[in-house]
Amino acid sequence: MKSPSYQRRLLAVVLPALLLLASLPARAADTLYLYNWNNYISEDTVQRFEAHCRCRLKQDYYSDNEEMLAKLEAGAVGYDVLVPTGNAVESLVRRNALREIDRARLPNLRNIKREFLDTWFDPGNRYSVPYATSVTLIGFNANKMQELGLPTDSWALIFEPKHLKKIKGRVTVLNSQRELMAAAMRYLGHSVQEHDPARWEEAKQVILRAKPYWAAFSNSTYIKDLAIGTIWVAHGYSNDMWRAQQDAAAAKRPFAIGFATPKEGAVLAVDNFVLHKSGRRPDLAHQFIDFMLAGENAADVSNLIGAGNPNGAATPRILPEIAANPGIFPPPAELQRLEMLRDFDPKLRRTLSRMWTEIKVR
Amino acid sequence: MSEPRTQPSGLTKWVVTLPPTIFLLAFFLVPALIVVLAGFRETGEFGGLAPLPQLSLDAYRFLGGDVIYLEIFARSFLVAALTTLICIVLAYPLAWLIARSPKQRRDFLVLLVILPFASNFLVRIYAWIMLLGPVNLLYTPFAVIVGMVYAHLPFMVLPLYTNLEKHDPALLEAAQDLGANAWTRFWRVTFPLSLPGIFSGSALVFIPVLGMFAVPELLGGTGDILIGNLIKEQFLENRDWPLGSALSIMLTICVLLLAGLTAWGSKRGLHGTEAVT
Repeated sequence: MKSPSYQRRLLAVVLPALLLLASLPARAADTLYLYNWNNYISEDTVQRFEAHCRCRLKQDYYSDNEEMLAKLEAGAVGYDVLVPTGNAVESLVRRNALREIDRARLPNLRNIKREFLDTWFDPGNRYSVPYATSVTLIGFNANKMQELGLPTDSWALIFEPKHLKKIKGRVTVLNSQRELMAAAMRYLGHSVQEHDPARWEEAKQVILRAKPYWAAFSNSTYIKDLAIGTIWVAHGYSNDMWRAQQDAAAAKRPFAIGFATPKEGAVLAVDNFVLHKSGRRPDLAHQFIDFMLAGENAADVSNLIGAGNPNGAATPRILPEIAANPGIFPPPAELQRLEMLRDFDPKLRRTLSRMWTEIKVR
Repeated sequence: MSEPRTQPSGLTKWVVTLPPTIFLLAFFLVPALIVVLAGFRETGEFGGLAPLPQLSLDAYRFLGGDVIYLEIFARSFLVAALTTLICIVLAYPLAWLIARSPKQRRDFLVLLVILPFASNFLVRIYAWIMLLGPVNLLYTPFAVIVGMVYAHLPFMVLPLYTNLEKHDPALLEAAQDLGANAWTRFWRVTFPLSLPGIFSGSALVFIPVLGMFAVPELLGGTGDILIGNLIKEQFLENRDWPLGSALSIMLTICVLLLAGLTAWGSKRGLHGTEAVT
């Protein structure tokens, strides 16, 4: 096996491979690196942007903020643009990981509705530009709810045993400490940004009382479960509920999926474009963000996945059934009752995690 | 190539063993040490870790002062033990059948056993969602066990088959000549000889099941949380790296103890084999 000809053959394979590797960066000169949520920008939009900037847009994907933050914290570099949710923006700003936005290069920023600018996580929008929104709410099998006479406009549907008795084993809630406990907090009339552990303890009790009636904690399977009819009530994100609604209609199911924001209030998530410090092409990044701020491009994400849209110029280009859906586009009065999740200090985080573990085990 | 060499030369030995050694040092030992260290550090204000000088036993103290975490460990061990047991019961006849089938067909049968690996693990688990959903068994502890057994069965079949294939049929004939019935032949000859296979198969099933988080997350109900889920939650959603690290270290210690036990057990099994042969 150790004949010289073998070694020569090995070299013949390895050397060209190395040369190929070395030549890659040169070809990647005009490329914008976007670290994005799965399925969060339509293929059309990408192609139009690539034609517009005569560059390439390369995407990596994550499925939650924590995954993205963990990867960046572990030292991932080279991403020009990220799409974090509000609390993750705050966290990135505090860690000094973001590049300031040059607003002079973003003329289309005027398209953003005023209520989505100048938020607590980035006063004055020094670092972030809002892209899309979702509300954490309740999705339901409309026919079943009517049949059983259940209220669909309140968190009571997933927390009150007297309602749950009728739908035992047909309910899923998010497998997310932050989201589920926030829902219970709103149901109790507390803020989701509450700092008093005693209040959170109340939320834990509400959850423990309701838990025996739930089928599962589910972060993704509820879309399919709702659409095929095995689950009747799900706690989840508005864009997922929209998807389940579309799927059920497309499969001509004998029932319809509805979703509504509970009257007690809910969690609003705003995802934003930000520039990561490690990005090599802030020029392309600004170009990209401004392109995405144009109404016709901003509208695509709403039409693609049923996301809410902070862009006023996009509204006329969004399908009417999406634009008129109060679960996706909260009316101004309802917007007052929506709160964003905010990160807590390590001590409260550990306390809440302990409560969450107890919820899972009991 | 002219004369066969059994002992590789010094240089070849280095060339062959260096890359895997470096790989293991860089990608296993160093990260493991980082995790050990992280367990003694404090959480940073916005996730991650606080600056280095602060070292503390906080994470361990937090875990130690609470039976709830012990409960999850106990539950995970129970699930892993049950999965292993079911795998042994299911895999043994299958491995035995393959080992006893005609030689030219064996490779094909082994190929069938590992064929599921050709598709992605998560896709196969999603298939179980489709299968268990309509019969109302989804989101139950039963579904978790089914998923675990399904995912790990080949890891039990293969070592068992490798072991059973090597058994000398003459032993069974001799036992028969000496008046042993079918059950006695199995229990006194085949089974003791197959113990090393059972031990290595059990290690290959038990240890991964302990840390598995995808199966309980996708198939499990509201109470099916295992250590794997707990650790994942600390690193991702809760961003409490010290607590996650402390949990990982505790799990690793448990696994190492078990692996040691298995190694010891299979050695004993081998000695038993020598006694029989």
